[in-house]
Amino acid sequence: MFSKKKWLAVSAAAASAALVLSGCAGTESESSSNAGGSSGSSSDSNQKVLQFWAFGDMGLAELIAEYEAANPDIKIEMKVSDFDPHHQGLLTSLDSTTPDIAAIEVGYSSLFKAVSQKFVDLAEYGAADMEGDYLDWRWAHGVDLDGRIFGIPTDVGPMAVCYRSDLFAEAGLPTDRDEVSALWPTWEDFIEVGGQYVSATGNSFLSSTGYVWNAVKNQSDEKFYSADGSSLVYDTNPQIKRAWDLSVAATPIAANIGDWTADWNAGMNNGAYAVLTCPAWMMGYIQGQAPDLAGAWDVAAMPEGGGNWGGSQLVVPARAKYPAEAADFIKWVLSADKQLELFKAKGQFPSTVAAYSDPELLGFESEYFNNAPIGSIYAEGVNTLLPLYEGPKERVIDTEFGSALGRVANGEQTPQEAYDSAIEAIKRDVG
Amino acid sequence: MANKSRLKRAEERTGYLYTSPFFLVFAVFGLFPIIYTVWVAFHQWDPFGEPTWIGLDNFVALADDPRLWIAIRNTFSIWILSTVPQLVLALFLAWMLSHSRIRGNTFWRSLILVPNITSVVAVAVVFGQLFGRDYGMVNWLLTVFGFSPIDWVNGTLSSHILISIMVIWRWTGYNALIYLAAMQAVPEELYEAAEVDGASKFRQFISITIPQIRPTLIFTVIVSTIGGLQIFAEPLILDGQGYGGGVSRQFSTVTLFMFEQGFSRFEYGYASAIAIVLATIVVAFSIFNFLVVRRIQKA
Repeated sequence: MFSKKKWLAVSAAAASAALVLSGCAGTESESSSNAGGSSGSSSDSNQKVLQFWAFGDMGLAELIAEYEAANPDIKIEMKVSDFDPHHQGLLTSLDSTTPDIAAIEVGYSSLFKAVSQKFVDLAEYGAADMEGDYLDWRWAHGVDLDGRIFGIPTDVGPMAVCYRSDLFAEAGLPTDRDEVSALWPTWEDFIEVGGQYVSATGNSFLSSTGYVWNAVKNQSDEKFYSADGSSLVYDTNPQIKRAWDLSVAATPIAANIGDWTADWNAGMNNGAYAVLTCPAWMMGYIQGQAPDLAGAWDVAAMPEGGGNWGGSQLVVPARAKYPAEAADFIKWVLSADKQLELFKAKGQFPSTVAAYSDPELLGFESEYFNNAPIGSIYAEGVNTLLPLYEGPKERVIDTEFGSALGRVANGEQTPQEAYDSAIEAIKRDVG
Repeated sequence: MANKSRLKRAEERTGYLYTSPFFLVFAVFGLFPIIYTVWVAFHQWDPFGEPTWIGLDNFVALADDPRLWIAIRNTFSIWILSTVPQLVLALFLAWMLSHSRIRGNTFWRSLILVPNITSVVAVAVVFGQLFGRDYGMVNWLLTVFGFSPIDWVNGTLSSHILISIMVIWRWTGYNALIYLAAMQAVPEELYEAAEVDGASKFRQFISITIPQIRPTLIFTVIVSTIGGLQIFAEPLILDGQGYGGGVSRQFSTVTLFMFEQGFSRFEYGYASAIAIVLATIVVAFSIFNFLVVRRIQKA
């Protein structure tokens, strides 16, 4: 048999190998997935596996399972990526290996409209009949200049303010949602209330100044581009300047935590901040991050009302393997009743107009959010939404302003310096 | 002989045959992309159109672009902070491993290589958390010892230090093993003779070991220059919000800048121009370092 030395060497090698291989182990991909449970390696050669690329949590897992149950020959595999990498990856994939279904957020819709011929015209699959079901301006996100329908709308993101009623109570502020909404008819009032909160508790009111920026910039009918999309107005639009000034003014009440970071998620639980901008789809996210705080979060109106944040189209790339099946799924999952179903399950607010007079939607209360009637809160918000043109360089411009706000928050630049450097950087990049 | 013998010609043919797979693969996956990149650099090209010839415009724009110069500054700063300590530490570790009587030598030699085989992204995520502003362990330790916490990611020098720590952590063991192998080849008699002459351990190290492993030193300096000037994954992960390398581009490196222009701004021509600039910098600086290290006394 082996000598003692040899055994020692072998076991040492085995131990190191185990250590090394555990480091090499791949992580589970972030896909939500196939509620079917089995691992995709089906011996059923008739089964079609559709690839669905998305970002964030679209809340579609149950609906996908429902569809798969009703259509046993179809399986849908989701791949979830971060917001920007998802869209960038999708763009570069359009000429090679594309998914069958993808989500495109409204901020990126102009960019993809420029290459809309790389998507299937869903009118070929009967989508034109669906046009009347949706808000006009949401439907328009998925229609290109030649009238091809390359995407069907998912949800809309009318905005409200989610606040921690328990922390408000500690700070001596009212907690009833109507009273809270009455506290801040304007943004200046909002910032003042924030100041009161900070002096009373010593904690931050907002997660970052980006909070104010994101809300205010979406509250008009023009953002970085003119309403007809023909010119850039990021440096002349008074709404943008106002958004900037308000964001800068909010610096003392903000915690300087980046959105979507681990600290931000933790902050939903640990009281690092007391309010969040809540488009409808944010509610599901908060519930996921802070399950133990049911009842502590509540919903009030947004200062100066209005404004849409988010929403997507589902598209079928032209090079998809199963375009007909993909189109079929999209029409099914985005139909009026499915959107309503999704709202009740996850909070994604429908872009289908019929939903807004549906008594079930209007009467819907969220248990987590202290029984807030979120159905009617958001339905009211929807009526004030103005179509807002978002152009191809949307994200580029937004990122520059965001970085500038970050520099102000760090104290690296004065607000004027930061604003000027942002404008200069955008001019260089975009024109 | 006027003609090569048939045997010799056959040998030559076999030689070419055996090495051809490498060259074929290199031609397709190495040489062709390089040439293509140079071609793209002279065009303006995005996903929405065809490539348009614009000559040197990309390079002219680059010369004027403050983002490039910030990236170059950051890249060199990170390079110095990471490469110099790393190689010195590696030399020290190799010396310890070869000349001390520690038990379980093989174990220690395997252990120092483990950081090298970890996932770069995972390491960046973990170090990012360790050095987090509010909840990071490093800041907690600092406060325990009475210092005030540092905003590692948002400062320029502090972010460079953070990235350098990750790079040092990863590559020291690798270089140490290379030095170790070289040191093992140094004849014992040299040390014994020096011992007899009364040289201290340190003197032996400087006058015997270093000159004897000179080729290895040159090798590691060149390789770490090439690698260290192309740091990409760590800055990418540290800036969770995009490819800018921080809100003031404080840790944007040239590779990251190239990636940002190519894959989030979709300016393929501009990114290719940056790639060429980077390659030029790397080659020039490697040659420079080679000339410097070559001045070490020959053995």
